[in-house]
Amino acid sequence: MSPRIDLEVSALILNEARLIDLKRWDAWLSLYSEDAVFWMPTWRDEASTNEDPEFELNLMYLKGRAGLEDRIYRLDSGDSFASVPLDRTTHVVGGVLVTGGDTERIDVQASWIVHTYGYHGTTTRSGSYEYQLRRSVEGLRIARKKIIMIDDRLEGPVDVYHV
Amino acid sequence: MSLQDKLAGLIDERGEQFRVDRSVYFDPEVFEAEMAALFEGGWIYLCHESQIARPGDYFSTRMGRQPVFVVRRKDGGIGGFINACAHRGATLALHEHGNANAFTCRFHGWVFAQDGRCIRIKNEDTGGYAEPNCREQFALTAIPRVESYRGFVFGSLRADVGPVTDYLGPTRPWIDLMVDQSPQGLEILPGASTYVIRGNWKMQAENGVDGYHVSTVHRVFAQTMAQREEKLGLSGMQRTEAGRITGNVSSAGYDFGNGHMAIWAQHTDPTKRPIYAERDRLAQTMSPAHLDWLLNRGRNLFLFPNVLLMDNPSTQVRTIQPISPDRAEVTVRCIAPIGESPESRAARLRKFEDFYLTTGMATSDDLAALEATHAGGYGRAARWNNFARGVVGTMYGAQNADAMAIGCEPASSTANWDHETFYHGFYRYWRERLLQAEGR
Repeated sequence: MSPRIDLEVSALILNEARLIDLKRWDAWLSLYSEDAVFWMPTWRDEASTNEDPEFELNLMYLKGRAGLEDRIYRLDSGDSFASVPLDRTTHVVGGVLVTGGDTERIDVQASWIVHTYGYHGTTTRSGSYEYQLRRSVEGLRIARKKIIMIDDRLEGPVDVYHV
Repeated sequence: MSLQDKLAGLIDERGEQFRVDRSVYFDPEVFEAEMAALFEGGWIYLCHESQIARPGDYFSTRMGRQPVFVVRRKDGGIGGFINACAHRGATLALHEHGNANAFTCRFHGWVFAQDGRCIRIKNEDTGGYAEPNCREQFALTAIPRVESYRGFVFGSLRADVGPVTDYLGPTRPWIDLMVDQSPQGLEILPGASTYVIRGNWKMQAENGVDGYHVSTVHRVFAQTMAQREEKLGLSGMQRTEAGRITGNVSSAGYDFGNGHMAIWAQHTDPTKRPIYAERDRLAQTMSPAHLDWLLNRGRNLFLFPNVLLMDNPSTQVRTIQPISPDRAEVTVRCIAPIGESPESRAARLRKFEDFYLTTGMATSDDLAALEATHAGGYGRAARWNNFARGVVGTMYGAQNADAMAIGCEPASSTANWDHETFYHGFYRYWRERLLQAEGR
């Protein structure tokens, strides 16, 4: 991959983190393609996660950007006990690495730590992202995001903006 | 004040009211008594047999404060032991679940067979033991009673309890309604989610059968699902059964005795249930009343003191592990009919993920509500939790023809899941067990 593409990829991924922390939901959602898959598997045992999202249990498995839009609808409704007030978050994303692909489709890996402050006090969770980015007329878009969260004993709600 | 005196004052049932002192959720002395009398003093749920299907499969958990593991023996039977080496007490089972021919202690290398016998002491011959064959003295401590009802495994750290089938009593037809959905029975699907609630374990027990909160706490879930289904034009089991959240549907709440409680609500559209696709096959195997109960009613069953079995459009086993008066660990697992179609399996899982997880859109709201009641409970100047709904209109015993049609006779029932009289049964039994243990 060229340095130019590395920079473009990093900018997209760091921008996503920033938009979530700023709770600019519409701008955040616009980074996803309409058929985007947003997937966070459950842990199967201490060492491995489920790998067949269709027929195994996931923490989140949202097929299509509409799934993310459902989450935002609920967060914004003012009627979700767990989401009023919304937690404050800081996403720290690092280790952004292009791992494969071509000019149209780029595979990317990154690590994350999210510090959360809210009703539950302070929580820090972490894990990794695996992205599939796709080139479209509007620019680079997220076609697939797999999130591994290493924490497996959760305190407080964990919604799309906490990871 | 003695514990007896304290317990006697925690439930106020004079006249037509039923109030519980909120200190039941906070008092460390009450918590210690609960651990000894309930979780370490009688039947509690341990696991499902599908989690220990093959010889050598084990599953480790806790009974109250005591670490234990259950294991499928070579002879097919199920044993259970305190998860501590007979030598110096290090935990033996390495993982939350796994498979082992024998259990080797990582500390000094002692080895224990699946039946708990000590089969190796490292350097036994130079050990300077007073007794020859001293291995025989070092068997693991067994859980005195381990019994299974239709795949659900229960254990008791007290030996002098009746059979678990008696303990489950009239809840058995409810369990049967889940198990009978497949000729091969049920299986726990891989993957689980564990969350820690900032609240007392009884709050999770109460919440799991609290029909009254559904139309407020989960209103937003129903609205979110409605806009999704309209936007995407979903049909059949792709949709979510939200009628019981928003609609004015038939429902009921039962006190089954022994602290067991349940609620059900009528589905407005049973075709949203994955199991609905099996209705013709099921009709050959059960009475019309059973089939109606199975297909048309969402059912939440609490088995005292630590498990909720939920049979709604998705299906769940939710276990409760108390940690301290103000913390409990809850694990949710998806349980499903073995051999169901890929479409049904996928739909069941997606519904589970939408609703039942703290990473989902409903259980997270439950937890916030539950933790709010815990936070409010610190306001000790306001003493009482009120469980008065349904005091007028509660039926007792075999008056409930609807329940009797599937062979279950509740101790009491109310024809509205908004009512709270089944909690009276829970708290009376809770008090009875604590007082009984104090008297021993």
